[in-house]
Amino acid sequence: MSFSVSAGEFFVIIGPNGAGKTSLLKVLSGLLKAQKGSVAIKDKNILHYRRRNLSKIMAIVPQHIEVGFPFTVAETVIMGRTPHLGLLGMEGKYDFSVSEDAMKFTGVAHLADRKLFQLSGGELQRAIIARAICQEPEIILLDEPTTALDPAHQLKIMDLMEKFRRENGTTIIMVSHDLNLASMYGDRLLLLKNGRVAKTGTPGAVLQKKTLEESYGCRMHVDESPLGQVVRVTPIPDKYFPNQDKKNT
Amino acid sequence: MPRNVHIIFFLAVLFLLQPGNMFAGTVTDQVGRTLMVPENPQRVVALAPSITEIIYDLGQEDRLVGVTQYSTYPSEAQSLPRVGSYVRLDIEKIVALKPDLCLATKDGNPKHIVDKIVNLGIPVYVINPRNLQQIMDTVTGLGSLLHAEKAASKLVFEMEKRIGQVQERVKNEPSRPRVFFQIDAEPLFSAGTDTFIHELIELAGGINTTAGEVSYPRYTWEDIIVLQPEIVLISSMAGGLTPEYLLNSWKKWDLVSAVKNDRIFVVDAELFDRPTPRLVQGLEVIAAILHPELFVQDGKKTEE
Amino acid sequence: MNTSIGKRILLITILLSALLILIGIIAIAAGSSGIHFWETLAIMAGKNGTDNATATIIWQIRLPRVILAAFVGGSLALGGLVFQALLRNPLAEPYILGISGGSAIGAILAMLLSLSYFPGVTIFSFTGSLLVLAFVTALAGTTLGNTMLSRDSLLLGGVMMNAFCAAVIMFLISMTRSFQVQHILYWLMGDLATMQKGQLPILLLVLPCFMIIFMLARPMNLLLLGRETAAAMGINVKNIVMLLLIITSLMVSIIVSLSGLIGFVGLVIPHIFRLLLGPDHRLLVPACLLGGASYLILCDLLARLLPSSGELPVGIITALIGAPLFIVLLLRNRT
Repeated sequence: MSFSVSAGEFFVIIGPNGAGKTSLLKVLSGLLKAQKGSVAIKDKNILHYRRRNLSKIMAIVPQHIEVGFPFTVAETVIMGRTPHLGLLGMEGKYDFSVSEDAMKFTGVAHLADRKLFQLSGGELQRAIIARAICQEPEIILLDEPTTALDPAHQLKIMDLMEKFRRENGTTIIMVSHDLNLASMYGDRLLLLKNGRVAKTGTPGAVLQKKTLEESYGCRMHVDESPLGQVVRVTPIPDKYFPNQDKKNT
Repeated sequence: MPRNVHIIFFLAVLFLLQPGNMFAGTVTDQVGRTLMVPENPQRVVALAPSITEIIYDLGQEDRLVGVTQYSTYPSEAQSLPRVGSYVRLDIEKIVALKPDLCLATKDGNPKHIVDKIVNLGIPVYVINPRNLQQIMDTVTGLGSLLHAEKAASKLVFEMEKRIGQVQERVKNEPSRPRVFFQIDAEPLFSAGTDTFIHELIELAGGINTTAGEVSYPRYTWEDIIVLQPEIVLISSMAGGLTPEYLLNSWKKWDLVSAVKNDRIFVVDAELFDRPTPRLVQGLEVIAAILHPELFVQDGKKTEE
Repeated sequence: MNTSIGKRILLITILLSALLILIGIIAIAAGSSGIHFWETLAIMAGKNGTDNATATIIWQIRLPRVILAAFVGGSLALGGLVFQALLRNPLAEPYILGISGGSAIGAILAMLLSLSYFPGVTIFSFTGSLLVLAFVTALAGTTLGNTMLSRDSLLLGGVMMNAFCAAVIMFLISMTRSFQVQHILYWLMGDLATMQKGQLPILLLVLPCFMIIFMLARPMNLLLLGRETAAAMGINVKNIVMLLLIITSLMVSIIVSLSGLIGFVGLVIPHIFRLLLGPDHRLLVPACLLGGASYLILCDLLARLLPSSGELPVGIITALIGAPLFIVLLLRNRT
């Protein structure tokens, strides 16, 4: 496969389970080495970047985070400054101010002294995003950040990313299960199936009924959202077609 | 030359007239170390119970200022300050006693502690008696260290005499009973060739059925049945158990010759445990058991 | 939370150093031959008014022992801290990767050959430890290519090697004579009485290990978040893990070869300080180092003083004190 993402784009990767979305994200971030081919940022192969310099450019918000050891939110967020600090890593005034701004931005400033395991799902997610922001990255990779959240929190996260992108020109690359969120926020989408690119393009181009049904293997209804100018996808349960055979894909 | 003799005599007198605890020169101990020892040791620390015993035997207990924990014989030794056990010496207590001579044994005293004592400037004389003759050498050596040469030679003479008496009496005895000496119980342990017990059994006109390379071999009851000892001697300290218990543990194995003929005896562990002159008494005990008709011992034979 | 971390590190270091010095002086002043507090201070101040025996006891017997206790306690506590971070497992302790098994077998073999504690037993025990470590890391996949040392493999390998070595040790013990068994048992329980002059340069070898670990404190914080997260934040995880593993293993192996297996220090001290100071390793490294040193000096002092004759193995004291202390702190922190 081959594709590119422009700077400042909101790029969403969608696709069925097992398509390889998380693996793709890991390859993009350099955590996994591509078997064939390479990933380049600004025309430089990411494997040629030194780890620290790469993490000054690219931040990752993983799907799960271990909360085993009792760090506070503030301690966790300021770890995002690591790429900018020396090995001994004493944080300075600037680092503290970046960290505070990040916490304010994601709305977790009032939780600064709470331990990680005391947070709710949404709060934890926002704390991790704050940490990613602290890296002052040009690219943020997110792995299904909204999957476990309620609708309000889902929107909150997406709005945060959108706002951050607008204010800083950051590129957002997100893996998501939610086709409608992808449609509402994504500049361009990439539909992945069986480890291959099924389609890339604008939401309108990718979210086509036939394309989706072939990739996901279930009935889809695609129309324009009442909000206007946004593609809406509705998966259709079998009970709405009691008499017909299931269309094979 | 008369003139040289006068000078030498004069120098010798000068030397001997020097006050205080002058080093009397170098001696060689039983492990081949040469060391300087004081002329007249006044503060001796004995680092093993056997050494304590010998010092009392030589009548030099007034020189003793410290002994190890299990120095139980003679009973007067109980009142002396303790410096830990002989396998785990307390170096602080030893130094605090300000000894001018320490007597150590190679078999058991931890070498690094002995080395440390030496490094602190305290002379350590190491003994290492492996058989009766070497015990007598130890007695002689300690006697010369502690100015008890007369007592030492008397003691050695006594030992030699008694050993000789036993040897004499069993010399012509054709039958040499097969002996099993049990030193520990549950599991059974016996004594191999490189032990005092072996030497005593052989000297007393017996055959040590457990002779061999391993010094303290382990045995099962099955082995005993194959071994077929004619006489069984049990150390009174075996396993810390009572004599009745120890004797009873043998009773059910009447396949064994010694059990069938009721020739199982508990003997006083103290006579076989320590490399001291009391081993000679142990020798006499064994001899009386092995050849009762040759020895008339009053009260020395332990009853079943 | 803006109190400069640098200031907090300094504060902790100064406080704990003061504690260490205090406990050290008390431990030098007291012993099985009595308590000589004023004499100790006098000798430390350079006056020579005391009699020779006391001076000898203090300088040549107690001081080396206290120094050894300090180095051993600090190293073990630090070793426990590092392994808990590396393996992200709160039950990890410095011997977990097979060091206890390997070093014990080496030491026992040396003692069976009637070698002296130093250098014989020390060299054998150090070698045994390294051999087992090499085996465990090979098992976990050390090819410095793509495979990173999987922490589960490391843990499993270490636990199994320790179990195997324990069986070998039992076998060796069953074959020995009684007083040799005693020497072996004392080594297995930890013995601080064997400090000799020649060992000092070896002890000093662990000092650079302390420095390196302190410099890696921040990466250790990040490792706790998971290797991928740490990598994503710019840590060269493979190199850092290898370095920490090697340095810490060397440090613990050196210490064990000198002092035998003293348990509980490496497990409990890091937890205590984590409960008191939080999980930032830049604070925990100096805290565990100095705190572990003080702790072991104290335990050794009690081991020497408590019994009316002889001394208890120091490992028993570390367990008897460490466990209840830890439980108390845990309960306090539940809220």
